[in-house]
Amino acid sequence: MAISDGFGNINELLLNIIKDNLEDAAFEWLIKAGSANEIDKLGQSFVMLPRKTGKPALRISEVQKKQLEESGISYLTSWSIDRLSRVWLLGVQSFADTEKSHPVIENLFLSAEVNEAVALYSALPFLAKPETWVKRCAEGIRSNIGSVLEAIMENNPYPAKYLNEAAWNQLVLKAFFTEKDINKINGLDGRANEQLALTLSDYARERYAAGRQINPQLWRLVAPFINDQIFEAIKIGLTNQDKEEHNAIALAISASDYEPAKVYISQIPELSQLSK
Amino acid sequence: MCCSNSIERDKATMGKPKAFDISAVKGMKFFDPHVHMTSRTTDDYQAMADAGVVALIEPAFWLGQPRTGLDSFRDYYSSLIGWERFRSSQFGIKHYCTIGLNSREANNEALAEQVMEILPLFIYKEGVVGIGEIGFDDQTAAEEKYYRQQLELAKEAGLPVQVHTPHRDKKKGTQRSMDIALEHGLDPYQIIIDHNNEETVKEVLDRGFFAAFTIYPFTKMGNERMVEIVKQYGSERIMVNSAADWGISDPLAVPKTAALMKLKGISDAAIELVTYRNAITAFAQSGQIDEADFTAPKNIDQTEKFEGNTILRGGQQPRTDKSSIIIS
Repeated sequence: MAISDGFGNINELLLNIIKDNLEDAAFEWLIKAGSANEIDKLGQSFVMLPRKTGKPALRISEVQKKQLEESGISYLTSWSIDRLSRVWLLGVQSFADTEKSHPVIENLFLSAEVNEAVALYSALPFLAKPETWVKRCAEGIRSNIGSVLEAIMENNPYPAKYLNEAAWNQLVLKAFFTEKDINKINGLDGRANEQLALTLSDYARERYAAGRQINPQLWRLVAPFINDQIFEAIKIGLTNQDKEEHNAIALAISASDYEPAKVYISQIPELSQLSK
Repeated sequence: MCCSNSIERDKATMGKPKAFDISAVKGMKFFDPHVHMTSRTTDDYQAMADAGVVALIEPAFWLGQPRTGLDSFRDYYSSLIGWERFRSSQFGIKHYCTIGLNSREANNEALAEQVMEILPLFIYKEGVVGIGEIGFDDQTAAEEKYYRQQLELAKEAGLPVQVHTPHRDKKKGTQRSMDIALEHGLDPYQIIIDHNNEETVKEVLDRGFFAAFTIYPFTKMGNERMVEIVKQYGSERIMVNSAADWGISDPLAVPKTAALMKLKGISDAAIELVTYRNAITAFAQSGQIDEADFTAPKNIDQTEKFEGNTILRGGQQPRTDKSSIIIS
């Protein structure tokens, strides 16, 4: 289920957290900015929001933490107050008038500074009709700014649910390229696919050729799709000196049905156990 | 901004070169309140960081090539608060900007009208510390019209104003810029009059404005003259900047001027005021400068993460050895 499917309940929870983190005057300003007759000023409100809320890290109670976990969005405990307030504001106005808010939000993407872009991409799963933002999300993956990429790639349920295969593969490949925390990519294993596996094994070969290391997590996505072509990359990987990578390759082979690789690795004593 | 010069004449004015010895100001922090990094290279960022520049302000200006459409302006403003800010952060330099319609392009009235419409969307963004650089170039009616409109915008937003003063007919242009600002009811303490020289500084200070000096070879102030100005007028409400851009300019103008002041016996306290503190005092009136962002590098702003990017380690770009023939 997308977060936006149950936005009513989530909205209440977010607002509850926001209230605990804001002075009365700032909270009142935000409520007003989120009211139906203020939708014309959504752009300006979004932009000037940190001037009203400040930017401290969120303080979240144990009860709220539990509620966030139950809603599957406990990742936002590490956010700052302006980021959460911006996401809430976009969500609430997007549901109030989807048609009217859409071009305003689109315009905000066009002129966003870094923190704004982070908030905008973080808001994607909270917007009405989330499927209308697929192109925008794919465009965001082309950013070269670390924190913007993190907002899209890490702890964001949107990409796995909505991106097409090409855009998803681009996201994963770029996450490896830019050394993101692969474990934080939502839905990673569920969206493993052959094309991605081939691309990643090519990428591994390029890295080997340049004498560079690779993130061994790559092999986890390759495992179900090992074939002749990928086997070639594996053989090169096993000749380098990185023990951690040898182990990752052995685990990948154990998860695959590709017989030649199983035979090959059974001849390497220190890895033969792992690959069983 | 530079203009055409006779090379022979320029050479004659350069005098005898003297090595810049950074050790004279080692450990000092500098704030360059006017520098167009969009037109500079990463080597410049590296050199500035090495010389002690911890923060800077990039005013919106004329890029050399006149813009023909609104989107070019929009993208330029976006890059000042987006990409350029990020690029700067890679070298550990805090990047602020001022946003405005420059005087030269104010003369394209059809476009200027459209630009005025999008300005309110940008001036409230984080790290926008003023309206700038605005003012007069040719001193035309159109320039005056948009200067006035932007002063009103600054008043409404409570933002400082960074005023560009013209190369030609400078003294009158400077006076007129100040007259108009006061006419619109702005507080001179919120206004930074830029590109001053010996002819303009007295009146600017007497009327309560901040006086900025651009240390820029050939066409603006030299830093030896700057030392004399500080000796004569003191250090209150005076600041120096490089205004380094696409012309022959020097992004190290602020630390170099500090070093020269030190050698010429100006006190450390005065040097700190004109190369660091006064700029912060003036532009922090925007509410957008938190000194901790660039004085305490370990105090990482949790809303911004740079170490997650592949080419960044702890917010820094890995240094390459330029003297090596090997590129790996």
